[in-house]
Amino acid sequence: MTLALILGALLAAGCVVLVALPYLREPAAERDALDDRGELEQRQLALAEVRDRALGALKELEFDHRTGKVSDEDYRALVGPLRREAADALRALEPRAGTSARVKAERQG
Amino acid sequence: MARKRNPARLVIALSVAAVLAVFLLYTSIAGGGTPSVAPSELAGKTGVVTLVGKVTAYKGDSYGDGLRFRVRDRKGSSPTRVTVLYKGSLSDQFRVDREVSVKGELRNGTFVAVKDSLVTKCPSKYTAKKSS
Amino acid sequence: MPELGRAALVATLGLALYAVVAGALAAWTRRRRLAASAQNALIGAFATTLVASAVLVAALVRNDFSFVYVAEHTSRELPTGYTISAFWGGQEGSLLLWLLILTGYAAAAVLLNRRRTRDLIAWVVPVLGAVALFFAFLLVVVATPFAMQTAPADGAGLNPSLQNPYMMAHPPMLYLGYVGLTVPFAFAMGALLARRTDERWIVATRRWTLVAWTALGIGQLLGAHWAYEEVGWGGYYAWDPVENAALMPWLAATAFLHSVMIQEKRGMLRVWNVLLVVLAFSLSLFGTFLTRSGVLSSIHSFTESSIGPWFLGFICIVVLGSLALVFARLPLLRARTRLESLVSREATFLYNNLLLVALTLTILWGVAYPLLHEAVLGDTRIVGAGYYNFFLRVFGLPLLLLMGIGPLVAWRRASLRSLGASFALPAGLALLIGAVLLALGAGSSIPGLIAYTFSAFVLGSIALEFVRGTRARRALSGGSWPAAFSALVARNRRRYGGYVVHAAIVMLAIGIAGSSAYDTVSEGKLVRGQTLAVGDYRLTYRALDEREAANATEIRAVLDVERGGKALGTVAAGKNAYTAERQVSNEVGIRSDLVTGEDLFVIAEQVNADGSVYVRAFVKPLVNMIWLAGLIFVLGALITLWPDAREQRRLAVRYGDARARVGP
Repeated sequence: MTLALILGALLAAGCVVLVALPYLREPAAERDALDDRGELEQRQLALAEVRDRALGALKELEFDHRTGKVSDEDYRALVGPLRREAADALRALEPRAGTSARVKAERQG
Repeated sequence: MARKRNPARLVIALSVAAVLAVFLLYTSIAGGGTPSVAPSELAGKTGVVTLVGKVTAYKGDSYGDGLRFRVRDRKGSSPTRVTVLYKGSLSDQFRVDREVSVKGELRNGTFVAVKDSLVTKCPSKYTAKKSS
Repeated sequence: MPELGRAALVATLGLALYAVVAGALAAWTRRRRLAASAQNALIGAFATTLVASAVLVAALVRNDFSFVYVAEHTSRELPTGYTISAFWGGQEGSLLLWLLILTGYAAAAVLLNRRRTRDLIAWVVPVLGAVALFFAFLLVVVATPFAMQTAPADGAGLNPSLQNPYMMAHPPMLYLGYVGLTVPFAFAMGALLARRTDERWIVATRRWTLVAWTALGIGQLLGAHWAYEEVGWGGYYAWDPVENAALMPWLAATAFLHSVMIQEKRGMLRVWNVLLVVLAFSLSLFGTFLTRSGVLSSIHSFTESSIGPWFLGFICIVVLGSLALVFARLPLLRARTRLESLVSREATFLYNNLLLVALTLTILWGVAYPLLHEAVLGDTRIVGAGYYNFFLRVFGLPLLLLMGIGPLVAWRRASLRSLGASFALPAGLALLIGAVLLALGAGSSIPGLIAYTFSAFVLGSIALEFVRGTRARRALSGGSWPAAFSALVARNRRRYGGYVVHAAIVMLAIGIAGSSAYDTVSEGKLVRGQTLAVGDYRLTYRALDEREAANATEIRAVLDVERGGKALGTVAAGKNAYTAERQVSNEVGIRSDLVTGEDLFVIAEQVNADGSVYVRAFVKPLVNMIWLAGLIFVLGALITLWPDAREQRRLAVRYGDARARVGP
């Protein structure tokens, strides 16, 4: 019974310490803000996904063409629009002047 | 370029309609489940039904000339007892006070069962806990 | 010691509550340290649940019958392995196992993702905490495993039909599956709560969903194998509501696994995916509810317990809450791309999803209808196997066919000409095999013949994919055929691993079709020396053996097996009479033919005092394909799960990318 009591007390103490740990480690933190995705960063992420999708689709089209799943004429019909999509996505992601400064400001604001 | 309406929605709508159609067709033909009847409700019922109840007594051999056993209502204290004549496979769980269900029809006062249709319910494994 | 167990569970309850409240507050007000504190609470909850579980295991191993749970589910002669498995043999223990696996998964999910997706994890923590809170609440307030009593001399023992290796592994495997579906659910809800519109939550939970889905599938196969060998009525699946309880979430998870691929590749079906993951998770809760409350009249009728209403309430909260959240975030979820053609790979995935969900809902209706009927109208109804088998054929056979069509269709748009070229070989093969089977007499079952023909088509299309892929790989970078083959699979693990899994499902279909559509049965009473013919076999009753085992008396009727004039050894079937539990179990005799895959399945239905035996024997063609399919299934899942360095790099670029562009 006493063993159970001791172990129980240790367990309870452990739980309290575990939960308080972040505050014990940094009793006075200058920045307590949770990393937030600003709108600009969300847009960048969405564009990155569009780019990856377009590039992935191109790669798969090439592979399917090589394995014979997609015929020559189907390939010719599909590859043009896909290449344009990929090019558009890459262009949209190109770093523009002031983007990084703007997002940094967004984050800190 | 004119925007085409998304065919995905049409496909989904048509599929839902198709599934419903198949479902309604089936249930109207095969009926929505077979009714299960307690011994006290059996009197007068015609046709094949599933009788559900608790065993009170039995004798005979289901693998030989036939097992005759009596059932009463699972719940409640109705005095009705129905005699069942059954041939076919018999679970080792079968004994007095076990819940059983069996398909068959009432003929001349005896419930004549469909072969191999007797199901004996396993006794409960989980008992309700009272807080200590 | 039970005080420690109870205290540990109370600690879990407290930590889960903290995780919910502090986690939600931290995510709402965007406080980093509070969010980290909530995450730690979830990790701590795993530690405390582990302590509680250790207390129970220790009590089981010690045969401490002062624990009510230990006394009810074990006995002194019970072998140690089964004593430990009694942990999950009863209601309270199985709830504790649920909680243990849940907190374990939650802790792992948090630890693996905390650095990468801080804002997403901030919302995932309260969701996971809420589920843990529910189970901890049940264990502390409603159904505690640590109830005590004055110790009786011996325990009641474990139900003899559970004393089987498959039954040992079946519940933990199922729970790894059920509980595993909580993680993608939590991430989906977390993403909605965090107002994120990207696919991060899918990428983060892809492997979790796969593991849960695989475990759930294997768990069901283990259960089916147990039913086949141990319950021994001659089948492996009876459409019992308890069995359906595991099948429904598995089907929903299968649909989900496929539709997330579409969202990843084309950005479509976002609302559908969230609804699917809610459905899968709700069905796994519903499945636990069905098997734990006494609400069913199935072959396993559990007494009505106190946890039923709580479960039902929790499921309602989960469903209504999730739907409300989805509705509130609907504008964020609108898809940006459209389905371009009804003949495309996206479209076949969509059809596959519709069929899977249709099958899931019809099974759900079959389970719920008797319950609703009784609740509303008072009298009971029974839904038989006929209903389920009908819909299995109506939805399952087209699904089988789609498995062969899908891989052969290109993304976005496929012209009928290129389809025809791809289809020619597998379709021709299938028709040929169909004709041969018809000539061999398979026409006795039309659904069976269709299943076989479609299976041949699918296997043909899978083989074609592997061949074409290897050939293209070899044309590209040379090397031998085996090298090109392994390079092909290594570079496209998800695709080709998926094909292996499809092959396993086809084998499953073949095994099911063979053993249920083309089986033979024969029965009769035999005295010593008498013969029973079944299919091509002749069984001669030779002797009756009786022996004493550790906790039972074993009676076996020994029969000589002969086929086509050749002696094939013996098969023994009979009964075990368990002393402590005072129960008799059915022990069937199975002789598997490794060449044809068929089983000779013998049941000694009744052993009479005069030594005669009533025997029922089946010949089940191809049934062993089902178990073999399980192995191939695991292999395919492993290939799909295998970490891919190239893919990890690509994802790092994508998610690091957005940050890199915005500076340090």
